[in-house]
Amino acid sequence: MSETVRGRIYDIQGFSVQDGPGIRTTVFLKGCPLRCPWCHSPESQLFTPQLSWISMRCIGTKMCDSRCVTSCPKQAIELGGTRLDSASGEELQMVHVKRDVCDDCGECAAACHPHALYICGEEYTVDEVMKKILADRSFFEHSGGGATVSGGEALCQPEFTLELLKRLKAEGIHTALDTTGYASWEVVERVIPYTDLFLYDLKHMDSKKHRETVGVPNEPILENALRLAECGAKFQIRIPVIPMFNDSVENIEATADFCLKLGEAVEVVQLLPYHNLGVSKHLRISDEKVAEAMPPSDEKMQSFKEIFTRKGIKATIH
Amino acid sequence: MVKWNDITPRVQKMRARYRSTQPRLCTARYRLVTEFYMDNMQLTGILKRAKNFKNLCEKLPVLINDDEIIVGEQVTSYRASAIFPEITFRWIVDELTNGDPMARESDPYIVAEEDKEYILSTADFWLHNNMSQIWDEYLPEGYHAHSGNGMLMFHDENNTTTPVGHFCVDFNKAINKGFGAIKREAEEKMAEMEKNGLYGDSSKKYSFYRAVAIVSDGMIIWTKRYAAEAKRLAGLENDMDRRAELLGMSESLNRIMENPCETFQDAVQCIYLYYLALCLDGQQHGLSLGRVDQYLGKFYEADIAAGRLTPEKAQEIIDLFYLKLAEPNKMCQYDPTTIANPGYTSGNLVTMGGVDRDGKDATNPVTYLMLQASGRLILHSPPQALRIHKNTPDELWELAIETTKRAGGVPTFEYDGVIIPALVKRGMALEDARNYCLIGCVEPSGCGDEWAQPGGTGCESYINLVGAVLLAMNNGTNPMPGRDGKVKPNTGLKLGYLYDYKTFEEFQDAVRQQMEYFIRWHVSCENMWESVAEQIHPLPLVSATIEGCMEKGRDVMSGGAKYNSTGNSAIGIGNVAECLNVIKYAVFDKKLCTARELYDAVMADWEGYEELRQIIVNEVPHFGNALDECDQFSRWTAKVYADAINSSHGPRGRWSAGCYPVTLNTVMGWFTWASPDGRKKGSPLSDGISPVQGYDKSGPLACLNSVLGYDQTDFGNGTLLNMKLHPTSLKGEDGNRKLRAVMETYFERGGMELQLNIVSSDTLRKAQEHPEEYKDLVVRVAGFSAYFVEVFKDCQDDLIRRTEMAI
Repeated sequence: MSETVRGRIYDIQGFSVQDGPGIRTTVFLKGCPLRCPWCHSPESQLFTPQLSWISMRCIGTKMCDSRCVTSCPKQAIELGGTRLDSASGEELQMVHVKRDVCDDCGECAAACHPHALYICGEEYTVDEVMKKILADRSFFEHSGGGATVSGGEALCQPEFTLELLKRLKAEGIHTALDTTGYASWEVVERVIPYTDLFLYDLKHMDSKKHRETVGVPNEPILENALRLAECGAKFQIRIPVIPMFNDSVENIEATADFCLKLGEAVEVVQLLPYHNLGVSKHLRISDEKVAEAMPPSDEKMQSFKEIFTRKGIKATIH
Repeated sequence: MVKWNDITPRVQKMRARYRSTQPRLCTARYRLVTEFYMDNMQLTGILKRAKNFKNLCEKLPVLINDDEIIVGEQVTSYRASAIFPEITFRWIVDELTNGDPMARESDPYIVAEEDKEYILSTADFWLHNNMSQIWDEYLPEGYHAHSGNGMLMFHDENNTTTPVGHFCVDFNKAINKGFGAIKREAEEKMAEMEKNGLYGDSSKKYSFYRAVAIVSDGMIIWTKRYAAEAKRLAGLENDMDRRAELLGMSESLNRIMENPCETFQDAVQCIYLYYLALCLDGQQHGLSLGRVDQYLGKFYEADIAAGRLTPEKAQEIIDLFYLKLAEPNKMCQYDPTTIANPGYTSGNLVTMGGVDRDGKDATNPVTYLMLQASGRLILHSPPQALRIHKNTPDELWELAIETTKRAGGVPTFEYDGVIIPALVKRGMALEDARNYCLIGCVEPSGCGDEWAQPGGTGCESYINLVGAVLLAMNNGTNPMPGRDGKVKPNTGLKLGYLYDYKTFEEFQDAVRQQMEYFIRWHVSCENMWESVAEQIHPLPLVSATIEGCMEKGRDVMSGGAKYNSTGNSAIGIGNVAECLNVIKYAVFDKKLCTARELYDAVMADWEGYEELRQIIVNEVPHFGNALDECDQFSRWTAKVYADAINSSHGPRGRWSAGCYPVTLNTVMGWFTWASPDGRKKGSPLSDGISPVQGYDKSGPLACLNSVLGYDQTDFGNGTLLNMKLHPTSLKGEDGNRKLRAVMETYFERGGMELQLNIVSSDTLRKAQEHPEEYKDLVVRVAGFSAYFVEVFKDCQDDLIRRTEMAI
C-alpha cells in the first residue's frame, strides 16, 4: 500500500514548534477546499503543482542569458521589473510570468539554476516522508513532540494522510492533524484511531458569513467537531482572528460557547492574530493583489482571550 | 518563571561607567618593564621573568576606583590597556609611526602624545628583544619555502602575536592555601637542596623554586599595597558607610593572598587579583577563570550560615566582580588576522555548573548568582560556559536559557557526557576529567592541573583546511596573492591539477596528503616556538599553583603540570566537506561540468561562471541536510584532521584536535581564494563544525543530524556549534522547554558544545540593508515561516518589533 500511495506535498518542516506540543516535524499537503483571503500559505490551495517565483533569488536575465524566457514553450515569461542588487550595485533585470498563459509545465524551473523559478508541490510516497520524519525522532522524544500532518487540507488526500498517520502510530510517534475540519465524516472517522490531537480551525460561527468569505459553509466543520468530541478526540482549537471578518465580540462569544459544547475534548484554544506576512507569498504564484488589513491590537486579543477564560476554557494568544 | 534579582544603584552606576569609558593606552607597565629589562641585561630565563613581575608588584601604581568593592588594576586609569613589549612589539611602532590607534574602525585607543614619544624612544631596544623577533630567528629553515601556503598562520616574520594564554591556574590553591604557604614550600625545597647540594638536575629545580618564591612575594606585596591604598582612601572618605567598607576591604586585602581566604568577599577578591596578576605578568589572552562557582560555593554557604552575608550582598559582589572582569582589554596589533575578538574583550572565560569529582551535580547558589550577573548586566565579557549533565536542575536550565535570550549566546552549553570521555580519551584520570573547565574559547581542560596550550603557543593555533583543497587542485600553488600582491608558487605539494586526477578518490587522497603535510609543519613550528619560549618566557606565577609543578620542581613551560597537551583548531571543515561533495557530485558522478571547467571557474573567482556557481549552490545536494552521501565528507575531513593532530607530539605531550573558529572563519576567509563549493574569494569560511552558511536548507534538526555524523570525542580540544534561531518561535516557558529539548537531544546523541544565537533585531535590520547577505534568514511566527528578506518592508519592520518584544 505505502509503495503506491503518493501524496502531493509542498513542504516538510523540521523544528516546527507551533504546530502542536513539543518539537515537531510538519508535513504540508497541497490542496484545500477553502479559499481564505488571509491564507498565509497561498501555495497550499491548489491541488496541482504550481510555478512559483522568488524575486530575491533571481540573478537577472543578463547573468543567466534569460534561460527561463527562452525555455518556455508557451512564451509565458517576459521581462518584468528590476531589482537593485546591493552587493554589486547593479540593477537586475527580472522576469514576469504571464499567469494566463503559463500551464505550470516546469520547463523554465528546470532551466533556472538559482531556483528563483521552481515548481511548488512534489509527489512523495509514504516511505519517503517517513524516512524524513524518523530522522528527527530523537528530538520528538525529548520534547514530547511528534509529527503533524497539515495542509492545505490533509483530509483532501485521505488515503495518503490515513496511511501516513497509521505508519506514524505504528512507530509510536505522537500525531497531530492540522485541519479545517471540512471533509466528509466518512473520511474523518477513519483517521480518529491514528490521530492523537486535532489542530482544528474554527473561523466563523455564522455559516452565511463563513461561506461568503472562505467559500464553504461551516455546518460540516461544526458537525464533524461535535462528532469527533463524542468519539473522544482531543482538540487544540485554532481561531485566526481576522479584522472585519470574525473579530466581533458576538462571534468570539459564540465560538467560545461552541467550544464549551465540545467539553473536555478541548485542551486549549489558540487565538492567532492576523498578520500580513503571507502577502509576499501570494506574489510567488499570482499577480493578483490580495486584501491586507491591520493586525488586531494586543488589547483586542487579550479581551478575546478573556472571553474564553471567563467561560473556563484555557486559551493562548500566539 | 525566572525572577531577575534587583540591580543595586552602585552596580548600575559602575555599569554606566564601564559602557561610557573610551579605552586608552597606559604605559605604566611598559615603562617599568622597559626600565627593568634595560637595567637587568644580566638576567635571563625564569629569574628574569620572576624579578620583572615582582618589580611590577612593588612599583606599579595602585588604583581603587570610586565605589569599588573588588579592586585591582594593571593600569593607571579605568578601562585602560597595558602593553606587553616583551611578547610582540613591531606592530606598535608601525602603528604609532604610520597610523593612528584612535582611527581604527574597531577597538580604537587613545594614545597620549608623551606615551607615544616614550614608546618610540625605546623602540630600538624592544625591536630586538621581543619574543616574536627572537622566535623568527628559530623558524625552521625549510619552512620559508612553504610560507604563503594559505593553510598555516606562520609567515617569514612577525610570527608571535600573543602570549600562550588559554589556561586556567589552580585558583583554589591561591584561595585556600595562599602565597605565604606557597612561598614557604618553595623556600623549604631550596633549603633542602642547599643542604644536599645542587646535584643532577636539582640546579634547574632550585631556580624554579627560587622564582616561585619571588613571584609569591610579589603577589603578597602587591595585595598589601592595595590594602594600604584602601586604608588611605578610608581616611579621606566622608561617607561613613563607604569609610567602613574601605576599612573592611583593607583588612581583607592585608590578610588574603598571604593567608587562606576566610570569607566570600575574600575569595572573590583573591580570584580577581590572581587573575589580574597573570595578566600583568604578560599572559592576558584567553586567560580563564575555571569553575568559579565551585571555588566560591563553600564560602557562600558558610557566610550565609554565619549571618555575615545576605544573598543580595553576594549578588552585588558577583556583579561588581563581573564588571571588573569586563574591564581588562588589550590593545593588539591592528591587523585583520589578529582582530578575531573585537569589542575590547580579553576572553576571560568563566565555567559554571557540571558534576563534581564524584560525578554528582555540583550546582550551588553561586552558579545562579553568576548567571544572574550575565543576564542582568548584559556584558559580552566575561564569556561564560555552563556545564550541562543529566542531572542539571530544571531551575538552572531555565535561568540559563533566559540568560542566553537576553545576553546573546551567553552562556555556551557544554556537555559533560561527551567532554569527560573525550578528556579521559586524551589521558586524564576520571576524577580530574570530571573537574574540567573550559578555557580560552570553548576548549575543555583540566581545572588547575593541565597545561593545555589549546589556543596555541605564541601564535594562534589554527589551520585553514580549505587551503588543502586549493593546493590539491592547483598543483601545490596557493592561488591567493600574498601581501605583495604576488602569487607565491609551489608552497605546497605538487600533486597535480584538478583536471589531472583520474578518479575522485585520487583527488580526495591529494587533499589528505596536503592536510597531513601541513599539519606536520604546523606542529613543527609550534613545537619549535615552545622550545624557545621555555628558555626566555617561563611562567613561574602560573607554575606556583598548577598541580604538578611544585611537586616536580618544574615550570609549566617545561612540562611541570600534571597533564600536558597542545591544542589546535581546524577552520573550514564544512567547506572542505562541501568541496569534496561538489567535486564528486558535479564532476565525477553527474558530470554537470568537467573538472577543467570547475578548475577554471574557481581560478577565475567564478567571474564569468555564475551559471555554474548557481548550479553548484542550488542543484547539488549539500552537507547539513541529513543526507549521508554528503555528510560522509565532513566525517572524512574531521577524521583525517583529528587523526593527524591527535597522533602528533610536542615537547611536553600529545596534541589535541579541536574545531572552533571564534571569528577567525571570517578573518581567514578574507585571505582565502575562491573554492569549488561556490564560495567566492574573501567570503567567510564555515563556522565551527557547521555546514557552509546557507547550505543547510532543511532546517535546524537536519543540520544537527548532519553534524552529529562524526565522533566528537576525537575533538578533545573542543568543538563549536552556533545554532541560529528566531526568538518568536521560542517565546515563553514553552519555548524554553523546546529549546532545552533540542539541546538535550543533541548532547545525548554525541554533541559536545552548543551555543544559541537568537537572531536579534539588529541582525534583522542588517538583513534589511543587505538582503543578499541574508538570503536564507528564516523568520517564524505562529504556524508560518518566511525568508525575512522576501517580505515587505512594513512586515520586516513588524518582525523587528516582534523580535524586540519576544526577548
